[in-house]
Amino acid sequence: MTSGRMELVCPAGTPATLRAAVQAGADAVYCGFRDETNARNFPGLNFSGEELAEGVRFAHDHGSKVLVAINTFARVNDVVLWKRAADMAAECGANAIIAADIAVLDHVAKNHKQVRLHLSVQAAAATPEAIGFYATSFGVRRVVLPRVLSVQEIAALNRAIDVETEAFVFGGLCVMIEGRCYLSSYATGKSPNLNGVCSPPEMVSYDDEPSSTAARLSGFTIDRYEPGEPVGYPTLCKGKFKAGDKTSYLFEDPVSLNAGGMIAGLKAAGVTALKIEGRQRGKGYVTEVVRAFRKAVDAVEQGGDAIEIDRILAGQSEGSRQTAGAYSKKWR
Amino acid sequence: MVPGNTDAKLPAVFRLLFPVIAGVPLGPLLTLSLRSLAGREPRLFERLGEHRSACYFIDPIDLAFAFTVVPDGERSIVRVVRKSETATSSVQIRGPILTLLSLLDGTLDGDALFFSRIISISGRTEAVLALRNTIEDAELRPADLLGLRGALARLVDTGILGALGIARQLADPNSRRKAPEA
Repeated sequence: MTSGRMELVCPAGTPATLRAAVQAGADAVYCGFRDETNARNFPGLNFSGEELAEGVRFAHDHGSKVLVAINTFARVNDVVLWKRAADMAAECGANAIIAADIAVLDHVAKNHKQVRLHLSVQAAAATPEAIGFYATSFGVRRVVLPRVLSVQEIAALNRAIDVETEAFVFGGLCVMIEGRCYLSSYATGKSPNLNGVCSPPEMVSYDDEPSSTAARLSGFTIDRYEPGEPVGYPTLCKGKFKAGDKTSYLFEDPVSLNAGGMIAGLKAAGVTALKIEGRQRGKGYVTEVVRAFRKAVDAVEQGGDAIEIDRILAGQSEGSRQTAGAYSKKWR
Repeated sequence: MVPGNTDAKLPAVFRLLFPVIAGVPLGPLLTLSLRSLAGREPRLFERLGEHRSACYFIDPIDLAFAFTVVPDGERSIVRVVRKSETATSSVQIRGPILTLLSLLDGTLDGDALFFSRIISISGRTEAVLALRNTIEDAELRPADLLGLRGALARLVDTGILGALGIARQLADPNSRRKAPEA
């Protein structure tokens, strides 16, 4: 069980969002460089080296940490970009590097001993043996847990390992083995793990048709929307497909994670840090979510009850379908 | 999480002003303003990457004209065009003028407005995303576009943002209904 105060780790896709997250109460902000070394490689998003250095200064001046995600997998014979990103993060004064690729972990462990290593969710390490390997081999200090574990499983895991754990509590969900989406690779010809995005925007189109709008990825229709119905960004795992005679969300319902009601349970399970997903989201959204989770985490730390936590987070469920995901598995 | 008055149309009183504005060389003025901003804040345009040469067709649905914008730093071009002139554009963005202005000053979130269909977008999604992320980070105020600083900038920001706030209130039927109770 974690003895200290839980850390709230918040997303930042741009310098403005980093400042907004810090001011809204983030203990730590995670971000990435403007290239394929991180898993949110969208146009116009992310940081240059200069922007990261400024962001780190701003965060440190306000008592927050900066964690840099270099969490895609390096290409064969082309590790230079990933190593350079790690060097730049270290030069900028980042508190930690979040990585999954063994080459990147090895480079940081050997060359930047002052920078903490966090194991990205992309590594999908969910057993004491796997986590132990990363801890022993590279000195990994924290593991970001895949979103496939129940709270009970996290508690058991924490009893068996001696590194910190970080659990997602809010935002998008990725099905099963994090980020390793062969569906996306098949449809787009690009691997999310290598290029940092599962629905590349250059392959996304919204086509107005006589009675509906079709959202397509690389020519594949992912969903259709009636006139006036809210649309979504076409993601293969959350698409509506026809199998046999039935049209349904074949792989996963288009729901997002909200484990706000489980903060106390996650703390009791020994989780050190709570992570909010959404580096692609705007600063208004980030401010609102971080502010609410700040209050909720503080309330849990002060012994607040479940009703109080639900009241604090009530506004965060507006307008979208949400789930507590695997944290409360009912199929086992 | 979309605020209540995001699809508000421009009130008639403000629309009446636009024939007067239409007589002003709006395109050249906005071009000058954008180029001047690029001179002061070159980093802002770097975020657009390759999409700075894209042509964005911006159609305020409650005005009689539209704009095309090529946000290419100090080579930026803004033109006032007819609503039918979409052929040369890479991206088309349509919505009420007050909503589009709110996107620019960061009052509203572009994602939420698009997904709830208050603004509509067609064309190259990657160029839209690059523009959206650039605007998100820019935190532009009216004075930034006009190249003003110091006390004058604060005065202009207060004036313009105040006027926009009043326009939004006038345009919001809910706010008008609530007014007598206030």
